[in-house]
Amino acid sequence: MEVAERLRLGSSPGPGMPPAFEDLFRREYQRVVAIAHRVVADSDEAEDVAQDVFVSFYRKHPAQAHYAAPWLYAAAAHRALNVLRSRERRGKRDAVEALRRDGLAPDPAQAVETAETAREVRGALARLPDRSAALLALRYSGLSYEEIAAALGLRQSSIGTLLRRAEDAFRKEVTK
Amino acid sequence: MSDIEDMLSVPEPKVDTERALARLRARVEAERIAPVTHGASAPRRIAVNIWMKGLAAAATVALVVTLLSVSGLAETILTIFEPKQLVAVPITASDLSGASSIATYGTLTWTEQPKPYDVPDRSTAARDSGMAVLTPSELPAGVGAPHYGVMPKTTATFTFSADKTRQAAAAQKRTPPPMPANIDGSKLFITGGPAVVAYYGDGTSTAGATGATGVTGASPFTGMPRLVIAQGRPPIVQSDGVTVDQLQAYLLAQPGISPQLAAQIRAIKDPSSTLPVPIPIDMATSKKVTVQGVEGIFVGDSTGLGSAVIWQKDGIVYGVAGTLTEQQVLAVANSLR
Repeated sequence: MEVAERLRLGSSPGPGMPPAFEDLFRREYQRVVAIAHRVVADSDEAEDVAQDVFVSFYRKHPAQAHYAAPWLYAAAAHRALNVLRSRERRGKRDAVEALRRDGLAPDPAQAVETAETAREVRGALARLPDRSAALLALRYSGLSYEEIAAALGLRQSSIGTLLRRAEDAFRKEVTK
Repeated sequence: MSDIEDMLSVPEPKVDTERALARLRARVEAERIAPVTHGASAPRRIAVNIWMKGLAAAATVALVVTLLSVSGLAETILTIFEPKQLVAVPITASDLSGASSIATYGTLTWTEQPKPYDVPDRSTAARDSGMAVLTPSELPAGVGAPHYGVMPKTTATFTFSADKTRQAAAAQKRTPPPMPANIDGSKLFITGGPAVVAYYGDGTSTAGATGATGVTGASPFTGMPRLVIAQGRPPIVQSDGVTVDQLQAYLLAQPGISPQLAAQIRAIKDPSSTLPVPIPIDMATSKKVTVQGVEGIFVGDSTGLGSAVIWQKDGIVYGVAGTLTEQQVLAVANSLR
């Protein structure tokens, strides 16, 4: 598989990735994509974010690092939020287009309206302070309080309160 | 399902992990990205080292930018770099690992060594540095009292050497373009500082830890004091003269300078008065902000654990950095009096 992929891609075989990194990738890729996807609501962009996150980790951290998974989750949330913010800056049309592409609406007639609503929701997320937005992204991607605390470097006992505040702030932004 | 879960709901992404892994392998090979080879025991050191390498690259970039503005008047000592504004220059990890250090191109000789020392209080810092030392009227909760350090004015001379460049290239098995004869042996005179740095630890500890309990090494700010406020005279560079075109052609064609970085540097409109601030784009983002009524650069790391803002006003460069949020760092910066 590996050799075939390399031939197909036309690159020469190098020393290869450490097996421990490949294991980490297989174990965490889906979750990293899910976190990014929750933020950007575009599966292609979410996979791009995940690729960047893993490359970043590969460059700087050993695959066996005890903090590997929480690092990846936090980086996925923050990088995805950066993508979302730059998309918001680029403008409404880009944002709606991204959401439509990802099939958030079941039929074309509803597509624009649904995408517009989803865009407003993502816009609200982009406007939140970084930590609040990351908290929401991680929590609603299914991470436990313990995992969120490890990812964001917070005390587990404070996650509940911070999350409630982030949810309140998010609701306010959405209804602005 | 809660209202927020409903609002943030997305279709389950269809993920092919093996295909994604193949894509990553291809990218790692194409970009020749090497994994770290050291153990998991030193993540903090890794992050700080990368940050320090960023600063070293900044020096290289500043030098390159500086050299672009050198006048063609040979044998004349000219002030060729006196920054009055800042600009963010995105750099990648490969820029960092690929760029040769300044030592590759010649010899740096300190005429006044950088010797920072601690001082007991702000008034001593002000007296020793000859600057009015600003302090914040607003500090985030949990930030302790400051310790002051002073770095006196520092001067150095850099002499280009074609021989040294050839030897360094041979050792690295590289074949850079040869150094033009008129650059070989030419000198730059660099003056930096003085500067004052105030370190604020946690209110409960002087260790300057981040307070984060989980992830170490996830941020270039990890291991920094809670808050650092620095101010100093910007570097000034003078030269005994070489031509802009030759230096630009020579330095920007070096193997370690990526076309993107070269383009960024060429795009700087007034290189003789612009201090480039390197932003390691794989771990930080930057944007323009208004600080103390002037334009500054905000830098946030990609994990959201640390922030920094840097600006220049009335001939002094200021920086505020810490394991704080963007709002906190900007509030501290704007409260400096």
